[in-house]
Amino acid sequence: MQRITIPEILQDEWFKKGYKPPVFEEKDDTNLDDVEAVFKDSEEHHVMEKRKEEEQQPTTMNAFELISMSKGLNLENLFDAEQGFKRETRFTSKCPANEIIHKIEAAAKPLGFDVHKKNYKMRLESSKAGRKGNLNVATEIFQMAPSLHMVELRKAKGDTLEFHKFYKNLSTCLEDVVWKTEEDMKEVK
Amino acid sequence: MGCFHSKVTRHEDPIELASQTAFTVSEVEALFELFKSISSSVIDDGLINKEEFQLALFMNKKKENIFANRAVLFRIKVQPLPTAFNIVFYGHHILAFKLALGIAIFDLFDAKKKGVIDFGDFVRALNIFHPNASQEDKTDFAFKLYDMDGTGFIERNEVKLMLIALLRESEMKLGDEIIEAILDKTFLDADINQDGRIDILEWQNLVARNPSLLKIMTLPYLRDITTAFPSFVFNSKVDEVAA
Repeated sequence: MQRITIPEILQDEWFKKGYKPPVFEEKDDTNLDDVEAVFKDSEEHHVMEKRKEEEQQPTTMNAFELISMSKGLNLENLFDAEQGFKRETRFTSKCPANEIIHKIEAAAKPLGFDVHKKNYKMRLESSKAGRKGNLNVATEIFQMAPSLHMVELRKAKGDTLEFHKFYKNLSTCLEDVVWKTEEDMKEVK
Repeated sequence: MGCFHSKVTRHEDPIELASQTAFTVSEVEALFELFKSISSSVIDDGLINKEEFQLALFMNKKKENIFANRAVLFRIKVQPLPTAFNIVFYGHHILAFKLALGIAIFDLFDAKKKGVIDFGDFVRALNIFHPNASQEDKTDFAFKLYDMDGTGFIERNEVKLMLIALLRESEMKLGDEIIEAILDKTFLDADINQDGRIDILEWQNLVARNPSLLKIMTLPYLRDITTAFPSFVFNSKVDEVAA
């Protein structure tokens, strides 16, 4: 006799009786106003925006955004913190932006994620419930130079450890897209 | 009394500091534990000097980087710390850039310009990084940080040097034309009066349009500080205050 799995328990009638799924408060400070704004009006303006969409380029990175990625500017080191798993990660790519989007989409779908796209921003929503609700990941592509892009993945909702695992799975599928990972970028010479 | 009065320095009262900042009394006490460890690392005088601050900021606690730590330590101990302005112009050296940043941040923490950071300075400066601190304070702090030589303007060459240092740190090689293009785009966006530099008003305007630029000014970790630095009950003033 096999032990019942957690997903099976969640489906069981016995479990469902009187069960109220927990609501997970998002305590993190990720500012997703810009991503949310993009997805909020996508329904209303979908028809009008379609033509504009094809013409737009990914946002060019502002020098200050780049500089703020510097490890030296992060005061968290003052706290000798066991950083644990980060809520966001980034990598650079030499592939064209559209190709990056298609590759991420192709990699995320088999992992059980629904993909919502608008311009160079994406929302990846897990169809499976995780430890802290469904994992929800926001992606954005920035242009650093005509042939160089920075891809940022941020956890919007859900368990950070699951985000970390998701990213690990995703990056094995994205090997031919990734130029430099964050680990590569943070090595001090 | 606990340990809020060291042999050499009187520290500001945690209740007073809590009332001035977004921190609770427990959080201020937790910060005091951190302050104690940083301020005693070189000279045990209850104050953080430049060297202690740099060590705290750049020492990587992971064992694998022990050689990197030694290099930083050597650099700090053996060579006098030049001013931020001078280091900026030695630009390409990543360590120099980090030290310059460290000094820039130190100067901002040292609000009374005494050359040392006391506990009150420490708490008030970290308060700006608290998630609940005002956007205005964060914007202001960030501006002063980027204006490394303190002229009241963020100049194009300052931004360029910081950008080059960041790119070297990340091992990304971008040609000068691309760096100039990024700078052009940034200044086109930010430099409204087109005088080649960014003043505080232009910075405020830029940040209002791009709130993500203030990401570095918030440490969500500060909300969990009491779990990271528990201070023992007999040190605590919390029970003395009516709930």
